[in-house]
Amino acid sequence: MFGYVKPPLQALPQEETERFRRIYCGLCHTLGHRYGTAARFILNYDFTYLAILLSGVEEGESRSARCFASPVRRREYLVSDGAMELAADESVILAYWQLRDGVEDHDWLHGLKYRGLSAVLEPAYRKAAKLCPGFDESTRTQLRLLSDLEKENCASMDRAADAFAVLLGAAAREVDDPIRQRVLEQILYHLGRWVYLVDAADDLKKDAASGNYNPVALRFGLTDGIWTAEARREFAATLDHSIHMMATAFELWDFGVWTPILETTFYTGLFHVGKAVLDGTFRTARCGEDRKKSKNVEEST
Amino acid sequence: MNDPYQVLGVSENASDEEIKKAYRELARKYHPDNYHDNPLADLAQEKMKEINAAYEEITKMRSGSKSGGGSYGGGYGSAYGGYRGGSSGGYQQYSGQSASGSSVLQQVRVAINTGNLSRAEALLANYSDHNAEWNFLRGAVCYRRGWMDEAKRYYQTACQMDPSNPEYRQALEYMENGTRSAYRPNGGQFGTELCGGNPCLTLCCLWTLCNGGGYWFCC
Repeated sequence: MFGYVKPPLQALPQEETERFRRIYCGLCHTLGHRYGTAARFILNYDFTYLAILLSGVEEGESRSARCFASPVRRREYLVSDGAMELAADESVILAYWQLRDGVEDHDWLHGLKYRGLSAVLEPAYRKAAKLCPGFDESTRTQLRLLSDLEKENCASMDRAADAFAVLLGAAAREVDDPIRQRVLEQILYHLGRWVYLVDAADDLKKDAASGNYNPVALRFGLTDGIWTAEARREFAATLDHSIHMMATAFELWDFGVWTPILETTFYTGLFHVGKAVLDGTFRTARCGEDRKKSKNVEEST
Repeated sequence: MNDPYQVLGVSENASDEEIKKAYRELARKYHPDNYHDNPLADLAQEKMKEINAAYEEITKMRSGSKSGGGSYGGGYGSAYGGYRGGSSGGYQQYSGQSASGSSVLQQVRVAINTGNLSRAEALLANYSDHNAEWNFLRGAVCYRRGWMDEAKRYYQTACQMDPSNPEYRQALEYMENGTRSAYRPNGGQFGTELCGGNPCLTLCCLWTLCNGGGYWFCC
């Protein structure tokens, strides 16, 4: 489910990509301090966005350190603050329940990986659940709802997406300011909806072959995992409505230094990911020799 | 009130042209059309008022100190003046009379306007005549809940049942093409399928190549 929300790094000035890196590394360090080394492996861009959305208008203090991912070069990272701690707690809960979901979805043998990883994350999860009982509870409820909908082969993609969208939207509940809460809830709800739908679209072919539940295939009657022009147009329109809801909510709160990153994500990045998924080029671009290329870019910057 | 220059995001030394440009950009962003049926339309309306007041104040200040200040009122003030009172805010849309004259459906409209979606849903669930208006209002509730696909399908049914109704047609048209005219900074087009243009495509390629699932940061 995770891995679709990404910053369009090439569309951002270097100053902004470095800022993104600092909070990305900061969240990693926060996870390490609070939950131990194992928890650092759950880090991803989506959780970084959660930290950004929960952060204040100013960027906090930063330090630099070496770490296992960058053992030679010292990397600057943001020192934890309340927002990053909250993002870390919520990330642990989300990651844990996603792994448990993997256990449920697979047979004993194929579920081994998920069972093992969730066992490793279990102590971290227990602590996080104690710190954010409300979020833990709502995550559990929503995932149960989602798995029920999957079992009954729910053909309404909105209903299925809603279960995940509400789950993510709940991450905004810990915020005090009522206006900020409304804004964040709308952003996170539609981010969740968008992620869920894009993920389902990305799995069209795979699910068509395996016969797994896919709400997008059911909604548009796509049996072989191939888009019809009409279905594709309708699906893109529904994604655009969600992106529009995120963008309009984003404009109603001052995100301070994080504004450029969020702005390019909502007005550019999500469109590109959505299009790549619809074109079927999203996965291919993620692996193999492209990594080499990314390394070259990294070295030249 | 806040400093009007700060509200428009310009310096006090900005030229009249720059101020007008900044105002125009903000007015486009917070325009009621961009917050059509949006659950946060009330917040956008507040923003719009603030921006209008700031622009008006700067205009007044500058025309007081200069003789040629009259040029302000004409060009832009009047163009966006109509939105000042919030008469076209998204929430007002359903306050019109119920087409079928049903008092229950009228109550549904009121509930939607006040943001009480659970009440609107309950009233609709108990209303047995699933006519065009019922479908339209179900669509309106779905839209506000973020169920965009269901919203569109209810609007479609409403239009099929009553093809001549402009309210239903407009709602369906918005679901199909509405986001194309949505605000995007620097005037670019808004849409997943519309990002194929040249500058976009280059960025897109560059960008997908450079993201190896977190690898970018670790090497």
